[in-house]
Amino acid sequence: MKLLLVEDDRELRVTLREALTVEGYEVLAAASLADAMAQLTHAGHLDAVLLDLGLPDGDGEELLQALRRERSTPLIVISARQVEGQKIRLLDAGADDYLVKPFGIGELLARLRVALRHRGTVAQPAVTQYRRAGLEVDLQAHRVRRDGADVRLTPTEFKLLARLVRQAGQVVTHRRLLADVWGADATEQTHYLRLYMGQLRAKLEADPGEPCVLLTEPGVGYRIAEPG
Amino acid sequence: MVPRPLVQFLPWIATGALMALAWAGWKLRLAWEGLRAAQRAARLERALREFGDQMRDADRPEAHAHELLQALSGLAGLPAAALLRPACGEPDIVLGEPDANALAGLQLCADKCRALGPGTDYHAGEPDLYLPLRGRDTALGAVTLLGLGTATLAPDFLAHAQALCDQMGLALQHRRVQEEARRAGELAETQSTRNAMLASIAHDYRTPLATIMGSASALQTQGERLTHAQRQELAGRILDETARLVRLTDNTLQLARLGAPGVALSSDWESAEEIVGAALRRVRRRPDGQRVKARIEPQLPLLWCDAALMSQLLDNLVDNALKYSPAEAPVELVVRRVGGQALFAVRDRGAGIAPAWRRRVFDAFQRGDLAAFSQRPVGSGVGLAVCRAIAQAHSGSLSLRPRGHGGCSFEFRLPLRAAPELPVAAP
Repeated sequence: MKLLLVEDDRELRVTLREALTVEGYEVLAAASLADAMAQLTHAGHLDAVLLDLGLPDGDGEELLQALRRERSTPLIVISARQVEGQKIRLLDAGADDYLVKPFGIGELLARLRVALRHRGTVAQPAVTQYRRAGLEVDLQAHRVRRDGADVRLTPTEFKLLARLVRQAGQVVTHRRLLADVWGADATEQTHYLRLYMGQLRAKLEADPGEPCVLLTEPGVGYRIAEPG
Repeated sequence: MVPRPLVQFLPWIATGALMALAWAGWKLRLAWEGLRAAQRAARLERALREFGDQMRDADRPEAHAHELLQALSGLAGLPAAALLRPACGEPDIVLGEPDANALAGLQLCADKCRALGPGTDYHAGEPDLYLPLRGRDTALGAVTLLGLGTATLAPDFLAHAQALCDQMGLALQHRRVQEEARRAGELAETQSTRNAMLASIAHDYRTPLATIMGSASALQTQGERLTHAQRQELAGRILDETARLVRLTDNTLQLARLGAPGVALSSDWESAEEIVGAALRRVRRRPDGQRVKARIEPQLPLLWCDAALMSQLLDNLVDNALKYSPAEAPVELVVRRVGGQALFAVRDRGAGIAPAWRRRVFDAFQRGDLAAFSQRPVGSGVGLAVCRAIAQAHSGSLSLRPRGHGGCSFEFRLPLRAAPELPVAAP
């Protein structure tokens, strides 16, 4: 597994690189966007990219586009609080997930694991089945069960759930959910999401007030918990 | 027959009578003029007194400058103009329509603090009369009567005009002194707040840093001699204290951000249930997180707010409630609708807060004054201050209510807005 780590802070770069190497990843490191772009063209196949926002030479959108032009290499954004807007822009533009600094290695490995599972799956999603906490979703069979019993969902509820399941374990921004479920002209209608997520939780969560499957990422979007 | 001597004296009598008449007339005229002068003086005095009263009560004396110009104009029947210097370092204010020459005259008059023009002993050949607006030691502007030419103003009019100008000058100076004092006060306050803030933040950082330093250095120097469990515990302590520092840093940065003018929130339609659900998920990761119980009124309308800020507010309130209440006591998070507001209450069964501290507990960086209190009040540093800033940024409020059987209820009220329409067709 080959990763590209783009991080301008030397200490953090060295720390992450060592930790990832211990986990068996081969890590290429870059300290700037220009450096990263160069590595991208010469490194050959990459399995994932970890991109720190707030690099001295750009906001990384360019890198994401270059990455998406040829391959669907997963990209995880590493952001600090003060670049919240940039993080959401990149997620809207197709970045796979994000981590907020400071984060633990465990969290990083979990995100990476999920991203690698979804690799290369834009046209044909790898994940069409989902199981967690008594919930079973089979996208191909169009079936949802909770504790073994069929659950009836409205078409919109199912579309919303399916969109989250296709990226299980990863955050999906409000804009992307709205665009994919309601259409490109509904991207501002966040209140649709609130309503339908509430309905889905009422049908699928053991305690809708304290969801453990359909998770909220305040100000960013939703994430269906990693299956398992 | 008329006695001769009488006829003989007739011219004398006539002359005498005429003289007496002339004398009486002269006396009458004097009296009349005296009366007129007295009336005029009284009128001027009254005008001066009224203008003086007006000036004393004026918050912005410069706003009354046109009245001064009107009064002066009335004295001479000529147009007037003025130049005001109400504040140090700010541009002059010009009223009326002085030409370049008159403007230069106004500047000179104000700079020299001296009347000039016809009837004065300074630039007497000028066509216009200039009078300074005299303060105690400097002129705060000048006025001019345009086109007096070779005529001069009557001495009492001139004195009256100068007196009116001085009223304005003194009022302007008074204002200027007040303004300078206010600014100096503000500056001192800002600086002392900043100092208190830096001291408080540094203090708050020191404790976790000491723990981190201690644990990390133990791992480094004694690593081999420690058991696996001991190493894990040290590492765990480093993580916990780092998390504390992260929260402190986030709060401090947020407080700085919200304190800046024109801060923009990323508001959207949010569901109270979701915001609380996400907060519960975060708090459950803490070892004492199971103590938190949430109650949300069903069918609450959507809220227009910044979800990230709301999360920060709830995290801080819940963190405080857990920190300052006994280990087994429940902490409640209640959301309900109260009139046109959504009420978020975080309730604990701690020792409560002494009445003297119920307001100040929201002020950041007040720790310097705590020495007199035996019980250390809550709100160490920035937590509650940032909560209040977040509440205010949402046009809401944050308050503290003591609970009936002990403990505190911190209550955030968020104004409700008319919710947007929902999709009609989509089932």
